[in-house]
Amino acid sequence: MQVRNEPKGLGMLKELAELVRYRELLLNLVIRDIRIRYKNSVLGFFWSLASPLVQVATITIIFKFVLDIGIPNYSAYLLCAFLPWTFFQMSVLDASMSVLHHGGLVKKTYFPREALPVSIVLSNLVHFILALGVFFIYLLILGTPILITWLMLPVVVLIQLMLNLGIAFFVSCLNVFYEDVKYMVTVLLSLLFYLTPVIYVTELIYYAKRMQAIPEVYRQLILKLFYINPLSMLMTAYRKILLPPFNTENIKDIPMDYRYLLLAGVTSFLILAGGYAFFNSRKWLFAERL
Amino acid sequence: MEAVQIQNLRKTFRLYHERSGTLKGLVLSFRRTRFEDIHALKGISFSVAAGETLAIVGKNGSGKSTLLGIMAKVYRPTGGRVIVNGRVSALLELGAGFHPDLTGIENIYLNASILGLGRREVGKRLDEIVSFAELERFVDAPLRTYSSGMVLRLGFAVATQIDPDILLVDEVLAVGDESFQHKCYAKVREFQSRGKTIIFVSHDLKAVRDVATRAIWLDSGEIRADDGVESVLEAYVNESKETGASDGPR
Repeated sequence: MQVRNEPKGLGMLKELAELVRYRELLLNLVIRDIRIRYKNSVLGFFWSLASPLVQVATITIIFKFVLDIGIPNYSAYLLCAFLPWTFFQMSVLDASMSVLHHGGLVKKTYFPREALPVSIVLSNLVHFILALGVFFIYLLILGTPILITWLMLPVVVLIQLMLNLGIAFFVSCLNVFYEDVKYMVTVLLSLLFYLTPVIYVTELIYYAKRMQAIPEVYRQLILKLFYINPLSMLMTAYRKILLPPFNTENIKDIPMDYRYLLLAGVTSFLILAGGYAFFNSRKWLFAERL
Repeated sequence: MEAVQIQNLRKTFRLYHERSGTLKGLVLSFRRTRFEDIHALKGISFSVAAGETLAIVGKNGSGKSTLLGIMAKVYRPTGGRVIVNGRVSALLELGAGFHPDLTGIENIYLNASILGLGRREVGKRLDEIVSFAELERFVDAPLRTYSSGMVLRLGFAVATQIDPDILLVDEVLAVGDESFQHKCYAKVREFQSRGKTIIFVSHDLKAVRDVATRAIWLDSGEIRADDGVESVLEAYVNESKETGASDGPR
């Protein structure tokens, strides 16, 4: 076995092959992350569900009794976007600190650096999948119909995984060089929370009362902008494939346009490839800057 | 066969003055140079044959750790290359990958996978690792309950039990108590008898005399001497006496 260390890096595919060679490390980091998070707590995994559940319960009560927008089972529509949003938010926040937290490791040992942000995203994926399991139980309790489009769920999750990984590569790398990034990410995330249809449904952009004042063409355009943003499209897609369409007096269902889901897939893949290339071009400087 | 070849190796670190590490600093210092280049290695070449035990000596800041770091692939060189034939285990810091909240066993698997070892291979060597580290009673306890000596033993046990062809060691043998050091050197001897290659950095000249078969004296990123242990150490000690370096050899 011959190993070279030269100024020039390997190509992206060879770097990827090296990460695959270190898959045991990746697995161990994921296991460690999941174990550590709840190591010293009695209720363990329950805590990862507690926060979204409490928030959704609060929002549900407010929307049911105070701000009735007239959609039956609104809590299900809310939860359906809230869980993937949490997956996105936690992946990005945790990833932004992933390399910094492992400064000692990075300075003293060789391993593919991308294992750090990737393992963070994967352990958040595990939490997300467990939360989805709980969500399906909730759907059965509510008695919403079982839909054939549920089969699309793995595709949508895969697209979100690519998006999360791509962003994770950018923030984890940038945060090594500029620690402002962590704060910027926090601010941007809270902005993004309201820019993506999490607490509201995409249809409201088009049908909300105040929006009616805007000419139809512009409302269509705003809707298109939402579809072009992969995160908004993903939130919309989760709702469309997991829950039945709703029609109220004021809000009509807008069926999902699968071309935009395809676009979200392509965009997410490009963000992933760009993020990985960006990370790779700087990852051997981490040990020098930490 | 050559275990390690170093060809015209250069490494330049960029030392940032008043490195703000913030975007504000980036904007304010835009197009102004706030750094200087530190030439840690200035184009050195040598090779190490399989089975050799090479000691690298030199003052603090002479580039020893940088050289070892590049061999361990922690740093990328600025110029030249390192070619390594065989599996490398680098002990730049004992227990660098340990996590205080995980148990001894969990840490063994984690640390071994950082060194590139799979779960199955670790499973086969688990008993050896635990018994070498003398931690039989504590493997199920979280690492934060360990004494520092126990952590050192565990780190050394994992790094040496993965059966590398080339062992890189940076000073770490100087830590730990008498019996731990004794054990480490016994392990080093065993490696030597099995024809493994060892490259280590040390300020402990007694250890260098005891174990090494060859020595390289690094000075300001250049090789001052590369020869048998005695002649290199003699030259090194003589100069250190003249300059009266505070961090000179003991």
